[in-house]
Amino acid sequence: MSKTTKSRKKPSKRQPKNQRSGLWRLLFRFALLGLVVLAGWMVYLDAVVTSRFEGRRFEVPSRVYARPLELYDGASVSASGLARELELAGYRSGNGVKPGTYRRNGGRFVISARGFLFPDGEEPRRRISLVVSGDKVRSFSVVAGPKSPIVRLEPAQIGGIYPAHREDRVLVQLEDVPELLPNTLMAVEDREFYSHFGLAPLSIARAMLANIKAGRVVQGGSTLTQQLVKNFFLTREQTLVRKGNEALMAILLELHYEKDDILETYLNEVYLGQAGVRSIHGFGLASQFYFGERLKDLAPHQMALLVGMVKGPSYYNPRRHPKRATARRNLVLNEMTEAGLLSEQEASDAKAKPLGVSGKPSFTDNRYPAYIDLVRRHLARDYQEEDLQSEGLRIFTTLDPAVQHASETSVSKTLPKLPGSDALEAALVVTAKDTGEVLALVGGKDPSFAGFNRAVDAKRPMGSLIKPFVYLAALEQADRYTLITPVKDQAFTLEFDDGKLWQPKNFDKQERGEVPLHRALSKSYNLPAVRVGLDVGIPQVQEKLRAFGITSPISDYPSMLLGSVNLAPVDVAQLYQGLATSGFNTPLRTIREVTDADNEPLSRYNLKVDQVADPAAVHLVQYAMQETMQEGTGRSAYYTLPDQLTLAGKTGTTDDGRDAWFAGFSGDLLAVAWVGRDDNGPTSLTGASGALPIWSTMMAQIPQHGFSPVMPDGVQYQWVDTEANALTGEGCQNARLIPFVAGSEPDTHTGCNGDLGGQIRSWFEGLFR
Amino acid sequence: MRKVTITHAASFALMLGLAGCSAPGGGSIYVPMGGGDQSKAPEPPRTSEPETSEPQVWRKSEQPQASEPAPAPEQPTRSPSYRESGDELPAAAVALIRDADQRLQQGDSAGAISRLERAQRVAPRSAEVYFKLAEAYVAGNNLGAAEQFTLKGLSLAGNDSRMQRSGWLLLADIRRARGNVAGASQAEDRARAL
Repeated sequence: MSKTTKSRKKPSKRQPKNQRSGLWRLLFRFALLGLVVLAGWMVYLDAVVTSRFEGRRFEVPSRVYARPLELYDGASVSASGLARELELAGYRSGNGVKPGTYRRNGGRFVISARGFLFPDGEEPRRRISLVVSGDKVRSFSVVAGPKSPIVRLEPAQIGGIYPAHREDRVLVQLEDVPELLPNTLMAVEDREFYSHFGLAPLSIARAMLANIKAGRVVQGGSTLTQQLVKNFFLTREQTLVRKGNEALMAILLELHYEKDDILETYLNEVYLGQAGVRSIHGFGLASQFYFGERLKDLAPHQMALLVGMVKGPSYYNPRRHPKRATARRNLVLNEMTEAGLLSEQEASDAKAKPLGVSGKPSFTDNRYPAYIDLVRRHLARDYQEEDLQSEGLRIFTTLDPAVQHASETSVSKTLPKLPGSDALEAALVVTAKDTGEVLALVGGKDPSFAGFNRAVDAKRPMGSLIKPFVYLAALEQADRYTLITPVKDQAFTLEFDDGKLWQPKNFDKQERGEVPLHRALSKSYNLPAVRVGLDVGIPQVQEKLRAFGITSPISDYPSMLLGSVNLAPVDVAQLYQGLATSGFNTPLRTIREVTDADNEPLSRYNLKVDQVADPAAVHLVQYAMQETMQEGTGRSAYYTLPDQLTLAGKTGTTDDGRDAWFAGFSGDLLAVAWVGRDDNGPTSLTGASGALPIWSTMMAQIPQHGFSPVMPDGVQYQWVDTEANALTGEGCQNARLIPFVAGSEPDTHTGCNGDLGGQIRSWFEGLFR
Repeated sequence: MRKVTITHAASFALMLGLAGCSAPGGGSIYVPMGGGDQSKAPEPPRTSEPETSEPQVWRKSEQPQASEPAPAPEQPTRSPSYRESGDELPAAAVALIRDADQRLQQGDSAGAISRLERAQRVAPRSAEVYFKLAEAYVAGNNLGAAEQFTLKGLSLAGNDSRMQRSGWLLLADIRRARGNVAGASQAEDRARAL
């Protein structure tokens, strides 16, 4: 108590003296507090600067590429397809000498390939000459550059996987950037870059003077470091506090990092344009975006334009405001001469050049949403989303732009012509028959809409698409079933243990008594399929389906023999891959390889084959599937397609036309089309009237080989009378040339030896057997 | 020891492939867009079904004999197609295979496989590409894949007995290396029978 009173008294005694020192102390305290706050603020800014600086270096979106077009003598491509492919890869029609241009004269092309760093090595710059005739490449030759009988063009970029802020960039390293570019940048934006400490007071003074003289802002005094710091803020407001912060951060940045680091980051960070929601950052991407060229290949006038655009990328947008952009470019070229970077002559040559901007950005983002969706699902098996968004990976897909284009147009043209088209939806999957590569994917009637991806997610009953597998299971028992085995086409009733009845019917409600097996399949009769399926056993059919690639549970009910198995179109494509390749299961792939930003391989998805069925039995099924196209439920395909194109396929229709399917293949392509309603409602369509038109319209746009399987070991073709179930001669009644597993052909003969020509032919054939 | 024999058989296969592969029976028919042969309108769907109208009626009234040649032959423009051998290798594929061979000699089986897959896309129906892939997988010590690619090649060898023979020998070597002695001697028997 006493102590307190004492102390209370004391200050009152020394008041005058204490007043002064108290003020000082207060000031001192405030100063100290200010310093502490400032120090804290600096620490905070320092943390912001370093984290932003470090963070910025790594967030690079992944790039997704289409498959590169391979050009060689004999390559299948149409002239229009080649032209479209070149446009998509950012080529310009020109003299064919400048890299990135091509010259076309009818079917003759001269293409100057820019070269590309593929995962398996560099494809050098080359000038090639070729003729497209009969939808084939001929007279292929390399005119300039290393000789090779086969050349890959650069792949078109078809998408990217972006971080949330949608900034896009292609990272460049300072040592890979041609010196002229940073030198020009410094000449225009910050002459004392290598000598200042983050701020350049002299430049600021000069700028202020110039601005006062002009009465408006004509010059900025910001250093490159300040400009870089400015980008760290998300807002663009201009306040004094903000300016102060920028200055502090610029100084901090200079304290922490080397000049070259800052310059390199600036080159990668600077905002240079906009493509929809995607923002174009850095000179590496800007070079591709505006010129379709790699940074190291830019000419001085192109660099001048890019550096000029730093001041205002949308104001000086060369595509939208070419005049402004040209004036700005020429101003930069003057600065370059002044700084001794260009001679007068070089500068005036450069000024005489057009802007040289490519027609449109080298790719529009998300042109193929359904395909990219499937790619992302495949990537998700091996990669984290955040790595894909920030590690700058390069993803090489199997998308074939020509097939994708054909698929999209066939869906969008055909679907509106179908009855009840307003409520209809469609999906289409196209794969390369022998590689399992997914070439094209359409997920709905509007292919550019990134919504429900029916090709992958619409799991629908497969209907009659199951029948080839039912008959395959039967034909593998060659002692019991051949293609001409008569099968009963008669109604019957199955009674289950719980007393329920099942009475399958044919689509046309007819019964034909007995039909040969090959016709039961090609005409897609239901009753024989169920009878054969029950005879060989549901487990055997299930086993076939699993061997060919179904991973989901399969129903045990007999109704599965008519396709009560739900599959998405891509699942069906996987299943049919084995039928198309004589019993070799080939896993579907959308990705060939993934590399990191430095082209180090991360994953390769190799071709795999796995024999899952007896090739002889598959060959017999292929025969009946060819018959389907020529005489059976798929024959309307030939309204659209040329006769010479041999095909094999199968229609599928579920109850009340809820699903219309078609799955089939040529020598090169396998495609699965589905048409139906999202609400699973009934339609008036069948596989042949709904899905097949889409399938054939797509096929008609692609030059390709007909389906003609190599006859496997142990198969023999015989002329048989399919009604009499006996061998016969060529040209005799009901004669068909039908393949048999050796030893399973009929042992009786009709006695007819056919016409003389046939006899002579078979005698000669006998000689060589 | 085992590997050596495998490589022998495989290079034998390649030698055959690259030397002369004048396969009889021709390759697949290439059909440009629109079919190339535009003069001919697509034939309306034909049917051999007895219940379809007129020809059937006519035939019945004529009481055709079993030996009479059918008026509408079953075969002409469209009939299920097959052939007796796979495709020949175009020059582009040969060049890629040579490149792959060099990689193999340098011990780079992954590089070889990537080139062979390019070759396979150029010539997907040619047996020797698959035999070469099998060889590359042997070098990469993936005998399971090697066996499958050999089988795939064999499925395309058709009636080309040299190709068949080198395929079966390659298969025998691979199976023996995998410890499948019975399978190996079975494959050898097949080769010997050719």
